[in-house]
Amino acid sequence: MAKPKVAFFDFACCEGCQIEFTNYGEPAFLELIKHVDVVEFREAMSEKTKDPIDIAFIEGSFTREGDRARLEEIRKRAKIVIAYGQCATTAGINALKNHTADYRKEVYGKDAGMPHLDSQKAQPISAVIKVDYNAFGCPVNKVEVLQIVSHLLHGKEPVIPDYPVCVECKRRETICRYEEGDHCMGQTARAGCGAPCPADGIPCEACRGFVSDANQAALKKALIQKAGFSEARAEGKSRMFTANQRGDAK
Amino acid sequence: MSAHFIKESDFKAFVSALIKAKPVYGPTAKRSKFVFSRLESPEQLRLDYDVTLLPPKKLFFPTSQDLVRFDGDKFEACVQPEEKILFGVHFYDVKALDMTDLLFREKNPDWNYLAHRECTTLVASSIQAVAPRAFWGSVGREVQPKGHDAFLTKIQGGFVYEPRTPKGEALLKHGAFGKASDEQVAEARKANDDIKKRCPQELKKPSASIARKVRAAFDDETLWDKLAEDCFSCGSCNTVCPTCYCFDVQDVWNVDQKSGARTRTWDACLTREFAEVSLGAGAHENFRESRGERFRHRIMRKAVYLNEKLGGPACVGCGRCSSACTSDIADPVRVIEQIVKA
Repeated sequence: MAKPKVAFFDFACCEGCQIEFTNYGEPAFLELIKHVDVVEFREAMSEKTKDPIDIAFIEGSFTREGDRARLEEIRKRAKIVIAYGQCATTAGINALKNHTADYRKEVYGKDAGMPHLDSQKAQPISAVIKVDYNAFGCPVNKVEVLQIVSHLLHGKEPVIPDYPVCVECKRRETICRYEEGDHCMGQTARAGCGAPCPADGIPCEACRGFVSDANQAALKKALIQKAGFSEARAEGKSRMFTANQRGDAK
Repeated sequence: MSAHFIKESDFKAFVSALIKAKPVYGPTAKRSKFVFSRLESPEQLRLDYDVTLLPPKKLFFPTSQDLVRFDGDKFEACVQPEEKILFGVHFYDVKALDMTDLLFREKNPDWNYLAHRECTTLVASSIQAVAPRAFWGSVGREVQPKGHDAFLTKIQGGFVYEPRTPKGEALLKHGAFGKASDEQVAEARKANDDIKKRCPQELKKPSASIARKVRAAFDDETLWDKLAEDCFSCGSCNTVCPTCYCFDVQDVWNVDQKSGARTRTWDACLTREFAEVSLGAGAHENFRESRGERFRHRIMRKAVYLNEKLGGPACVGCGRCSSACTSDIADPVRVIEQIVKA
C-alpha cells in the first residue's frame, strides 16, 4: 500500500501546533515519515501540492470570508480532515475578539488600518467544512496526535477524550488546586493532556476547551464559593480558551 | 495466632529490615496529603496519616496497565508480579481490597490484578489520625476487614503486631519482637474500638435499611436531578474510590506502526462518555445521558447493587469522594440523608 499523503494548512493561528509536529525528536520523526508521506508542510519544507491527499491537518480559525474557497478546496481533495489545534477546533483564543467591539484599535493601535487585520467573527473550521476528527489543545498534545495518526493508519477510530481534566489529576494523585486555596477549571476542561499544569501547581486554563457537557453554572459557583472570586471574575474566567463554547458565545 | 510487641525504639530497625528484604510500599507524605509509595527509608513511613489520595488498590490495579504487548504477529502477556510488602493499610482500605479481590476473582479470574495481589504481604495498621470526611465508624458494620496478613496497632511505647497468616508471621524475624502481654493486647483492642467513635460523620441507619430506601428512590427523577445539579461529570468520586474497579481497554501503537500495547486505564461512570455505546454505522447512544442518571448509578452501586455479593455496601467510609468533589455533592452520608428524608 502506498504511504498516505499528509499535508498541513494554516488559517488564523500562530502555527505553533505545526511546530509541535516537528518536536518529536529526530528518531521518532524519521520513523514516522516511513509511514506517511508529508507532501505539504511549510514549517519544514518548501514543496506544495494540488494533488489529492489522504489526511489534511488544518490549523487555525476561520475568520475571513475570503478563506472559505480555500477551505472548501482542501476539503474536496482530502479524504480525512483533522482540525488541528484549538484555533481550528473551537476558534480557541481567537474567539476572544468576538467579544470585543474594536479589537483592531485595542490590539494594534496606530496600525489598526492595515488591510489584513480586517477579519470577521472567529469560528472553528467546522463552521465551513466537514471535520472528521479534532486534535484539541493550545498547543496540540503531540503524543495524542501521533496516536490519532496511528489509529487512522490501522483503520481504527481515533480515541479522543471527552472527560474533564480532574480524571487525569486524580489518577496521578495531584493535590487539587482548590485544596491548596487556589482556583482551577479542570472540572469543565477537556482532558487528554495528562494534566501537567495542576501537577506543577498551576490552575487548568482549559486550553483544550470545555468537555461537551461542561457544567458552566457549577464552574462559576465553585470559582465564587471555593476560590473566592468576585461574581464578575468568575463569570468571565473561562473565556480565554472557550469563548465559542460558553453560554454567551457570539 | 499469638500477638507480639515491638518497642517504639526498635520499630525503625524493623522497617529498615523489611525494606532490605523486599520492596515495601506504605503511606508517605505528599505536601499536606498522603500517598502510598515505595519506601526508601523508614523515616518516609507515615503511620500517622489520615487517608491517602488514592487507595492502595493502585498497586494491584495500576491507573494505567499494559495487558499485552505485541510486535507484528507476536504478542505476550505483561503480568510481571513483584513480591512486595504493603504496609500500614487502614482497616477500611483492607475491607475495600477484600471486595476488589472478590470482584476480580469471580467468574473469569483477572490475573492482571490477582497476580499482583497474591504475591503481596498485606500489613494493616491502626488509625492514628481521622480524615475530615471519614465515616468508616458507621458504614457496613456487618462487614469485617479480612484478607490482610497482619494487623499492627500503635499503643503506649510501641506497637502490637498480630499475624493473621503465615505470610504475616514470616515478617516477625525482621524485628525485635517479644510476646505481647494481655494488657497490651487489650490496649490495642481498645484503641481500635475507640477510634471508630471519632469519625466526624456517621450513617445513622443500618446498611439493609439504607439499601431499601435508596432503591425505593430509584424513580424519583426530580430528586436525582437535584442531587446532581452541580455535578461536573468529572469522575473524581469514582477515581479516588477504593471499591470502583471499571476500566477501559485501548490498543496503542508505537511509532513503528508494528509494535505496541493493549492497555487498560481506570474508567469512571460519572463521566458522560462512559455509557456511550456504538449502534453501528457511526451512530451511537448514551444509556445514562443525564447527570442525574449517572449520579444515581454511583449511589446505587455503592449502597444497593453489590450488597448481596459483598455481604454489605460497596462503600467503606474512607471519605475520599467527599473530599475530592469540587462541588461537594458526592458525600455518601449527606446524599443518603437527603434520600432518606425525601
